[in-house]
Amino acid sequence: MSEFLQVKDISKVFNPEQEFEVAALSGINLAIGRGEFVVISGPSGSGKTTLLNIIGGLDAASGGAVILDGLTLTDLAEKELCLQRRDHIGFVFQAYNLIPVLTARENIEYVMKLQGKSQQDCDARVVEIAEKLGIAQLLNKLPNQLSGGQQQRVAVARAVASKPKLILADEPTANLDSGTAAELMAMMEKLNREERITVIFSSHDPMVIAKARRSIILRDGRVVQNEITP
Amino acid sequence: MMVAAIAWRNIRANKKRSIVTVALISLTTALLVYSSAFMDGSHNKMIQAAVEIYPGYLQITQRDFRDNPSYDNLILDTGALHRLVEKTAGVAAHGARFETFVLYAAREKAVGAMLTGIEPEPEKLLSRLHSSLVKGRYLTKDDTNALYMGVELAKRLKVDVGDTLSFIGNGADYSFAADRVEVVGLFKTGLFDFDGGATFLNKPYFDQMMASTDLATHYVVLPRQPAAVEELAAGLRQQLSRDYRAESWRQTMGGLVEAMEVDSIFGYITLGIIFIVIFFVIMIYTLLTVFSRIREIGILRAIGTTPGQVLAMLLGESMILSLLSVCLGGLIGGALAYYFYLNPMEFPSYEEQFKQYGLAVTSMPCAFEPLTILRDMAIMFLLSLLSGLYPIVKVNRYQPVEAMHHV
Repeated sequence: MSEFLQVKDISKVFNPEQEFEVAALSGINLAIGRGEFVVISGPSGSGKTTLLNIIGGLDAASGGAVILDGLTLTDLAEKELCLQRRDHIGFVFQAYNLIPVLTARENIEYVMKLQGKSQQDCDARVVEIAEKLGIAQLLNKLPNQLSGGQQQRVAVARAVASKPKLILADEPTANLDSGTAAELMAMMEKLNREERITVIFSSHDPMVIAKARRSIILRDGRVVQNEITP
Repeated sequence: MMVAAIAWRNIRANKKRSIVTVALISLTTALLVYSSAFMDGSHNKMIQAAVEIYPGYLQITQRDFRDNPSYDNLILDTGALHRLVEKTAGVAAHGARFETFVLYAAREKAVGAMLTGIEPEPEKLLSRLHSSLVKGRYLTKDDTNALYMGVELAKRLKVDVGDTLSFIGNGADYSFAADRVEVVGLFKTGLFDFDGGATFLNKPYFDQMMASTDLATHYVVLPRQPAAVEELAAGLRQQLSRDYRAESWRQTMGGLVEAMEVDSIFGYITLGIIFIVIFFVIMIYTLLTVFSRIREIGILRAIGTTPGQVLAMLLGESMILSLLSVCLGGLIGGALAYYFYLNPMEFPSYEEQFKQYGLAVTSMPCAFEPLTILRDMAIMFLLSLLSGLYPIVKVNRYQPVEAMHHV
């Protein structure tokens, strides 16, 4: 398996050189292959979300490099990072983070529209993804008309609609009941398999962690375990 | 396109916020439009009143008369001047005046005053002397020793319509001139100094006494379009010999023009201070509204919207709201200006203060000039866009994760 994503000696210090300096990540090194289904777990405050944010270019690292498919993301300016996120990375957030004034359909096609895809292409892709995720009947609803589970499905649909290389999901099941969480994980596994998308998610949930084919455990900002599940 | 849709949806979804913004900017626009209209209207009215009472829109004088107003600098051929002005396009009325100063005596009183020979018929259009009649009658072209006098001067001399009084003065040839005249009419323009020091005689009779036939100190011209007075003055200057000068009220009443300009400057400084305050109110309000959406902006950035696109979206929202607001404010301000253009505001208690500036007015209409209204709307549009720029640029500088976690 080729090294699709390389995390090299990443560190992150919040409030550097101040009284309340916090080292959130120290010397993180990871190599993840294309199409992997990876979970990052660890106790609260271990640095899971910070690591995902740095991998996705949402936050700047204090040191080290993130290389995605040969491109060093940590060297890019904000505009280029935005374009990389738009074209190659999908995000699923714990709090769903849908755009409140857009319908489910518009949320899903938003990134594709930013990419300049035609309305015809967008429509076809939205229908395809909505059917896969069982949200076809919800497409014309606004986020505030959807339940938490439905919103998270729409968020997953938004993340995968533009066919990114990588999906980063930060505790995607944290706000869902166990049944909905299991359904969502099953869907993400299916998308990982069918669309060949690399998925990295963070979680505390043992059921979710058990689904992953690689498990990375963080503690106090350091990798304490990185192994492929048999 | 999607970014524009979000901008529009945000405006509709956040009705309260949009309504407050529109109300704030539209009221400010209405205030600016109305203030400008009132300031311009009051200045126009003051100028119109000052010009029309007596001096006139355009005066022709001998070249040096204004620097040295003596009998050495008189217009020497009013007939020729009459013929020249008569054939000039854009002239509504014209007539000669000969101004001099005499000493009046009535019973035990003697008072110095201005005596002017006027052509009664054209003067009806050139000034407000005729319409200011309060007692007796106005002059006719056949009058001989009939005097038209200001009411305040009549009070000082203790004379009334039908009384006679005598005067002595200098003729145009520096000879001694004296006569006995009858007061046929009293006028009141509202300008105390003018009403207390001006008298008028029919010019043909005046010329006999003053040896001033075909002579004048001023030749006054009324343009058909008062706004075109400068063009008319320029046209006359080209036709007149170098011995004469044609000047519009802007030159002949330079002091008034300067006073209006100073008043405008103070008016605009006051408006400027108000707008600086409003600018910061709008900016702070925009800052609050933009920061209340910082998480949404963080999400947009996280999923691939570039800072430029976020800027375009927020500016788009700001532009839509500003445009709506200035149109609404322009309509409100324009409607107010139009109403007070038709129904001038009355200020009877300021009459005495206006008189100190040589103005006989108690009402102040607004000006109603669509181009000025559009100018004010454009100023407010730019001001509201500028006031929103800082908050928008500031919020756009956040890292996506900072923005999403911002409380």
